[in-house]
Amino acid sequence: MKALRWGLIKQQMLVTLRVRALHVLSLGLFVIQPAVFTAVGMLLSHAAGNAMPDLVYTVIGGGIMGLWSGLVFSSTYDITGDRYYGTLELIVGSPTSLTTIEAIRTLINVLTGLFSLGLAFVAALAIFGYSLQGVNFWGAGISLLLLLFSMWCIGVFLANFLAWSRLSGSFVDFLEMPIAFLCGFMYPIRVLPGWLQTLSGVIPIRWALQAMNESLLGNRDLPFLLTHWAMAVGISLVFLAITGWLQARVHDSIRLSGELSSI
Amino acid sequence: MIKYLLQSLRLYLYQAWLSYHGRYSITSPFGYISSKLGFPFFLMLFFIFMGKFVGYTNPLYIVIGNVLLIPAAGSMSGVTNAIGDERSWGTLSYVLGSPAPRLPIFMGRSLFYILDGFVTAVLGFAIAAGIFHLDMATINFGMLLLCIFLLAITSSGLGFLFGSISLISRDGWIILNTFLSALYILVGVNFPVGSLPSALQTIAFGLPLTRGIMAARLVLAGAGWNAIRPLLAGEVLVGAIYILVGYLCFRLIEKRSLTSGTLDAI
Amino acid sequence: MHPVAIEARSLNKTFITKTGLWKTRTRSTLAVEDISLTIERGELFGLLGPNGAGKTTTVKMLTTLLLPTHGTARILGLDVVQQTAQVRKHIGFAFSGSRGFYNRITATQNLNYFAQLYALDSAITRQRVPQLLELVGLGTRGDDKVETYSSGMVQRLHLARALLHDPEVLFLDEPTVGIDPVGSRELRQTIKNLSSLGKTILLTTHYMAEAEELCHRIAIINKGRIVALDSPEALKRHISGDSVIEACIQPGQVQGILDLLRVLDGRTLVEVKNITEPETVSIRTPEPARVLELLSPYLNPQYIQGLEVRNQTLEDVYVTIIKAGGQ
Ligand SMILES: Nc1ncnc2c1ncn2[C@@H]1O[C@H](COP(=O)(O)OP(=O)(O)O)[C@@H](O)[C@H]1O
Ligand SMILES: [Mg+2]
Repeated sequence: MKALRWGLIKQQMLVTLRVRALHVLSLGLFVIQPAVFTAVGMLLSHAAGNAMPDLVYTVIGGGIMGLWSGLVFSSTYDITGDRYYGTLELIVGSPTSLTTIEAIRTLINVLTGLFSLGLAFVAALAIFGYSLQGVNFWGAGISLLLLLFSMWCIGVFLANFLAWSRLSGSFVDFLEMPIAFLCGFMYPIRVLPGWLQTLSGVIPIRWALQAMNESLLGNRDLPFLLTHWAMAVGISLVFLAITGWLQARVHDSIRLSGELSSI
Repeated sequence: MIKYLLQSLRLYLYQAWLSYHGRYSITSPFGYISSKLGFPFFLMLFFIFMGKFVGYTNPLYIVIGNVLLIPAAGSMSGVTNAIGDERSWGTLSYVLGSPAPRLPIFMGRSLFYILDGFVTAVLGFAIAAGIFHLDMATINFGMLLLCIFLLAITSSGLGFLFGSISLISRDGWIILNTFLSALYILVGVNFPVGSLPSALQTIAFGLPLTRGIMAARLVLAGAGWNAIRPLLAGEVLVGAIYILVGYLCFRLIEKRSLTSGTLDAI
Repeated sequence: MHPVAIEARSLNKTFITKTGLWKTRTRSTLAVEDISLTIERGELFGLLGPNGAGKTTTVKMLTTLLLPTHGTARILGLDVVQQTAQVRKHIGFAFSGSRGFYNRITATQNLNYFAQLYALDSAITRQRVPQLLELVGLGTRGDDKVETYSSGMVQRLHLARALLHDPEVLFLDEPTVGIDPVGSRELRQTIKNLSSLGKTILLTTHYMAEAEELCHRIAIINKGRIVALDSPEALKRHISGDSVIEACIQPGQVQGILDLLRVLDGRTLVEVKNITEPETVSIRTPEPARVLELLSPYLNPQYIQGLEVRNQTLEDVYVTIIKAGGQ
């Protein structure tokens, strides 16, 4: 924990924000793309003859998509950027471990993505007349925290994987949509075939998200929520453990291949 | 004259290969297929389940639309990234500083992406036909291939346009990505263009792809040449306009960068 | 404190690269072969060699950024493979080239960030960053974005970054590449000052003169191997007091002149440098008077257009050694 100095966190935030996020174009990532997903959902719903789109899954779900793609995109961008700028080997060569840096960056990325989710929520309330009546606030709040936590764990895991090799970038590309579709970012898990529902159980995000959506829909069933929360936390911790185990290997492997400095 | 043409052709092919090879040092067939089809495939599944949830009963419509968008997305982002990469690798000023004719250099960047997009889409159709039991019996394959090829070419015009933007701004590809995602609403991929609000319909018909995708859908429904001819003609026309505009942009920015020296700034 | 700053024992590095689309072929490059070095504390040591000799690879292994294929290395007694974290606290390194910084933010912001990576106190950072920028001659440009820097300026910034945490051992990979003559003279002075402050410095370069001016000892490295290792003075002893006569000769006449010099014995080495027009013939000889006597009848523009007689320099020694390794 000594590794997570506030000074380091602050500097990393400043650099991340200045290098990347405070840019008009990140609007595309955090606002327009989620809005497009929401629009597709609404238009599909319209084409199917529904008068009103589903506000939780279609509108707030768009925000979840923004949070997630923002996270995947930023993690990829961070590490490829570092390779490209030649700063990756300077970071690795410093006494601060790459994993610490990645943990901090992922935190920043998750928190930035929260902007998307917040915006979607506001849009649901202000534009589409989403009513907070009946919402299980404590359930939704706790679930949101756990959702962010599980996203953070997956993000740190991905960042480690990305550092491994230049090529892992294309695999992460390959993971972004599968996770979105398995975890039911814009529809309830139940529309998936049974075996996919089972498969999605290995992703912690799925449990936290399901608990959050159910709470937003008014579910107050404590045992249901507790099992979902426990699953989210437990599987997240498993991912963290795997990351810890991988990290040493990745660190050795990138120093063996000379891939640190190549672009 | 002939010598000039031959030289241009050589330059064109060479440029095309360099541009493609420089970006993808793909090491395995699996890497190729997964990098090309992975993202669109899972995106498609996502849309299908979104549709299923809201009671949209025609998943095949989504499947076909998404497969048809693959060559377009591929050649668009291919061309954009090819130009953007050269800017970041610093090779662009060598290319533009050479006395080589501009048109082959410019068009050369798109050839392999167009072929690539075409091949991926055909592969995509084969896979989709297997998984979703597309009924291929009544389809005129020649016409379907023609439609797909045309889609790959016309969308390269959009690629040049965004490629030129990535010459001005190092973030051109973010604009491209945003725009690409908007295509999922606009050009009739997941639902008919007719169900869009009328303002969006106007935009949709001002874009390449819209008519081409409609034509391909007609072919898949068993329509004949006469039914799709006006659509294809429109697609060619719109596509040509975008390629021309893209080329002009490229020249304009080349000129501009001579005075401002911003070409290789990253 | 450990008396030896840098110690390398039989360092080897083989890079494996894969190429090919369907069948992958692996190609291995032996970048560094059996390099052993012992560098005392406070020493300024030069690693001299042509492009691709393996200098950067050696430095990267010593700075924990690359794992050796065989062999061991210790910095201040700490193993670079096992005790990575401790080694990193004590070393600073600067690579050459225009990469290594976030281009979109300013030099000061970059340095502040790296200072945090080295866990520097923020009060110290505030004080040291401007000092270092001043030291490398960027005092007025600290608040400019790095993307507006020329390659020479980025090169100086590399040095400033390497010095942030005031490391005891400093690795500088071709520090003056891309810097103008005045600037590189200043930079060499800075390096000398750092050395006189007691820092151990390992510097790589492909300029003989730079190594000669700065270094206490020089290792000449070629194709991954050390081919000579000594102080500049001792290396100069290879010079042997020969003179070098360089003659510019009309193209058609070279063969005639070479025939003329054939009377001289094996101590005189004649080399045609086929690079210029008129061609240059370089004659290394212990008896310059005799050579000049032989050439004197031809000292007119039809045959010999120009003639220069000089003492052999370390540069000639370097070229001889590298060429000898090339065969
Ligand atoms: N990451 C790498 N992968 C494969 N080969 C490499 C890599 N890095 C360096 N080499 C090879 O190792 C040799 C030595 O390179 P380097 O140490 O950079 O030389 P120098 O710094 O002396 O110019 C060269 O032949 C180079 O091509
Ligand atoms: Mg080097």
